[in-house]
Amino acid sequence: MGGTESIENKLKDAVKDLFLKKKVDIVIGFEKGSLPLTSRPCFIRSSDMAERLVWNASCTNNLAVYLPRFFQKVPRAKKSGTPPPVVGIVAKGCDARSVVGLIKEKQILKENVVIIGMSCQGVIDRRKIESFIDGSFIAGGRQEPGGILEITTGVGDKKKIKVSDVLAESCIECQYPHVENADVRIDGESITASDDGYKAIKAFEEKSPEERWQYFTDEISRCIRCYACRQACPNCYCKVCFAEQTLPRWIGPGDELSDVMIYHIGRIFHQAGRCVECNACVRACPVGIDLRLFTRKLCMDVKELFGYIPGLSIEELPPLLRFELNDNNDFITTG
Amino acid sequence: MSTKPLENPYIPKPVTIEKITIENEAKDLKSFRLRFVNKEDEKAFTYKCGQFAMISVAGAGECPIGIASSPLDEGILEFTIKRYPTGVVTTALHNLEEGDIIGVRGPCGNSYPMAGMENKNVVIVGGGFAFTTLRSTIRYMLHEKNRSKFKNITIIYGARSPGELLYKQELEEWEKRNDVEIFITVDKGDENWKGREGFVPAVVKQVAPGSENAIILICGPPIMLKFTWPPVLELGFTPDNIITSLERRMSCGIGKCGRCNIGAMYVCKHGPVLSYEQIQELSERP
Amino acid sequence: MLKKADINKFIAAVMNNGYKVFGPVKQEDGVSLSELKTTDDISFDYFNFILPPKRHFFPWSELLYKYKDKTIHEAPLPEDKTILLGIRPCDARSFSFLDNVFIDDKAVDPYYQNRRDNTIVISLACNQPLPSCFCTSVGGTPAGKEGTDILAYDTGDSLFFEECSERGSSFLKLYSKFFSTPDQADVQAVKDFIAKAEKQVLSVNIKNAAEKLKEKFYDSVWDKLSFRCLSCGVCTFFCPTCYCFGLYDERDRRIRVHDACMYKGFTLEASGHNPRPTQSERMRQRIMHKFLYTVENFGKIFCVGCGRCVTACPVNMDIRENIVEVIG
Ligand SMILES: Cc1cc2nc3c(=O)[nH]c(=O)nc-3n(C[C@H](O)[C@H](O)[C@H](O)COP(=O)(O)OP(=O)(O)OC[C@H]3O[C@@H](n4cnc5c(N)ncnc54)[C@H](O)[C@@H]3O)c2cc1C
Ligand code: SF4
Ligand code: SF4
Ligand code: SF4
Ligand code: SF4
Ligand code: FES
Repeated sequence: MGGTESIENKLKDAVKDLFLKKKVDIVIGFEKGSLPLTSRPCFIRSSDMAERLVWNASCTNNLAVYLPRFFQKVPRAKKSGTPPPVVGIVAKGCDARSVVGLIKEKQILKENVVIIGMSCQGVIDRRKIESFIDGSFIAGGRQEPGGILEITTGVGDKKKIKVSDVLAESCIECQYPHVENADVRIDGESITASDDGYKAIKAFEEKSPEERWQYFTDEISRCIRCYACRQACPNCYCKVCFAEQTLPRWIGPGDELSDVMIYHIGRIFHQAGRCVECNACVRACPVGIDLRLFTRKLCMDVKELFGYIPGLSIEELPPLLRFELNDNNDFITTG
Repeated sequence: MSTKPLENPYIPKPVTIEKITIENEAKDLKSFRLRFVNKEDEKAFTYKCGQFAMISVAGAGECPIGIASSPLDEGILEFTIKRYPTGVVTTALHNLEEGDIIGVRGPCGNSYPMAGMENKNVVIVGGGFAFTTLRSTIRYMLHEKNRSKFKNITIIYGARSPGELLYKQELEEWEKRNDVEIFITVDKGDENWKGREGFVPAVVKQVAPGSENAIILICGPPIMLKFTWPPVLELGFTPDNIITSLERRMSCGIGKCGRCNIGAMYVCKHGPVLSYEQIQELSERP
Repeated sequence: MLKKADINKFIAAVMNNGYKVFGPVKQEDGVSLSELKTTDDISFDYFNFILPPKRHFFPWSELLYKYKDKTIHEAPLPEDKTILLGIRPCDARSFSFLDNVFIDDKAVDPYYQNRRDNTIVISLACNQPLPSCFCTSVGGTPAGKEGTDILAYDTGDSLFFEECSERGSSFLKLYSKFFSTPDQADVQAVKDFIAKAEKQVLSVNIKNAAEKLKEKFYDSVWDKLSFRCLSCGVCTFFCPTCYCFGLYDERDRRIRVHDACMYKGFTLEASGHNPRPTQSERMRQRIMHKFLYTVENFGKIFCVGCGRCVTACPVNMDIRENIVEVIG
């Protein structure tokens, strides 16, 4: 027991219950996607609609990205002053930390959010699956109990793959899969927290500056500046992003590498002490740039320098919003 | 495949700013009189009333501006441009001085139906700084070569306050003429204002002549247009004789960049001049 | 017919004649349409390219001119003789759509036109449509010839070449020594091939979409439909038929950069007014533009059914479902 299917049923029941008790106006969850082995965001507005909900290893999105829009003025709304709805949100560990972050940054109202905390078994990385079925594509697929994916390949072969073999890197390295601030909790088996001591980042830091710069350059030069990484990120709610500001214009809009790099460096730094490592940017990037390496480095630094983990507690202020005399200043002088 | 284009339509032509006139009290409207640096560019730039051009400031970019001079104003081009605090190009333009060189690309878009207006009574209704291409049209019609081609000409022009009225000197000259009727109104006057007060739609209702053998050109902010259609229709103007000019954010001005459409109509290519009849046929109503 | 074993010789000869050849090249993360450095790079082991080939005629970003010493220095128009090899028929079809926009009677885009004039498109018929493909529902087929000069069929160890334009035939004539005449069996193989592939393509019922969309502009369906959308623009960047752009000045130069109607800033005016303020109006624009406005302006649905938007969308907005939902 404790497989995703029974979790899915518990989730449906819990959401129905929330509607029946009039505790929510809307619930953001996942429904089945249109392509094999995909799930996608959906918006549940009544208890009947709860049947659409699914819960499995392809529920990849960080749904917190949708929250701020419930609390912003709709540009063409005729009347203002209607109170924001109470929004339920199906949240994995990382997603829930985003929600907390948005509360702390005053983008959403704590009283108006109901966090439905899922016990998370991690989500899949489609690119990994595709490499498993070398030379073909995912023509069909579903998740069986016990964390097994049954995949039909483009040439009609059936393959069984363990979810644990194709987990997203961010899930493998996830330190906080547990939802700390759940208002409703859907219990079940969950992935164990990892603490690999930022192995991959440390290994990258071992490389020479030239090698690191080269890697950064190679990755960034593939960027087509679609800004999908930004749009998929719950932290990127700014009305006007510095990358698109016109007066003054900080960076040119073309594909000159230095401009693209400044966009990325800006984006990465704006995530310091805020990024919850949900991997939404990486999944959204249509050209598969390794954005996680860069943001994770910042996450590591913030943890090591300030002992801060974004989104764990609602009360603790993030390092960029507070100042203490004994703050670590080493990075200023030692670089 | 098709033949090679003679001209690259994306390359602006250099013009010198000959004269800058501050038009209003708020000082955010300036008129620029421009002269082509090269004679052949001047010759190639033949335009009609109602068309617009893309104005370039090197380093800032480009924006579409209606041509305020008349095709009969030889050798020069005039534009009246509002500066937006958030606008890159308009801000850059307002920082320029006489003698500076900028770029002009065009002319773009279609024009007012000048031929169709001949032998007709013409009513011109303008509000705010959308008066620019109407001024071009008035100058054109009042030119000694042309005046006899048109029957009665009536102008109704309004601005928020007396200080916001454009082309004040010209308005005075037109008021002195006896071959044109002109009604100027402001939303709210000041102590020195002796003229008419009231919104443009209301003035239209009061003073507009009949629709018999007449065509009416209306330009102004969307809210003014919205309230001007009903009285104009009531006066009996048929939808094909009600003409307006639309605006949308633009980039290419030649129907390529996909930015300026209202339904299937691209303002830069099929417009900006449209009849009320054409507007009603759009799936999206501007 | 061209033996696959001989393809290297054929391509080498083409390169020797001064052509840049872009074709399917195996790389770390799959096969992409890249410039062939040597003839060994080619791989026919791919479904379709991740990025749309439109960028070869219309790059993400390009220089129009530099402004120096108060004068404009135009960037030279592209003149490279180019071969695009292995384009899928859906994508080749997109070229003929883009022609409608960039090469019209009123104003010709010289950058696009020059590239188009100097390029020969050799497409490769599809033998393995993906779950996201729906070309047959929007007027294409896995062996379509629109927009291409030469169409190749992969029949196993050979490629069957079919001339689709005058340019294509005169080009092939120059290289006739590499080709053999197909026999009856080859022709049959191609026929079977087409029939098999066509059957595999998913079909979507969008009959009379344009007619029905006309009534839908002010429908509330757009709000509901678009709520999931993140306005990330990937669907438009990846769409082979999306052509929107912006002209910008960067320091001393004017460039043109891809832009798209899915972005909030696309129609934002300097006054602060935005005719398409939410993702609802933007989604409506995207779908209306593809399935109604282009039909009114060019008589064509500006979608070739390649499915890129379906797979690339981070929240799985599926245009096949969307259009059906709107027209009901
Ligand atoms: C056919 C036509 C004719 C026109 N004729 C005239 C004319 O005769 N006279 C005249 O003055 N104007 C005219 N206009 C309007 C004129 O084109 C615009 O005012 C001009 O494009 C503004 O350009 P800009 O570069 O200054 O602003 P841009 O910098 O292009 O625009 C401002 C940009 O800043 C950004 N922005 C961010 N936040 C805001 C915000 N809160 N508010 C605004 N922008 C924001 C947006 O990206 C916006 O697009 C005409 C327009 C058209 C289409
Ligand atoms: S999503 Fe990828 S391609 Fe798009 S801007 Fe971000 S890094 Fe660049
Ligand atoms: S709309 Fe989607 S399926 Fe159609 S051509 Fe564009 S990317 Fe391909
Ligand atoms: S769908 Fe949007 S981005 Fe694509 S061509 Fe149409 S208007 Fe441009
Ligand atoms: S790719 Fe998807 S989320 Fe992004 S703009 Fe297109 S429909 Fe919206
Ligand atoms: S401004 Fe580019 S299409 Fe109209």
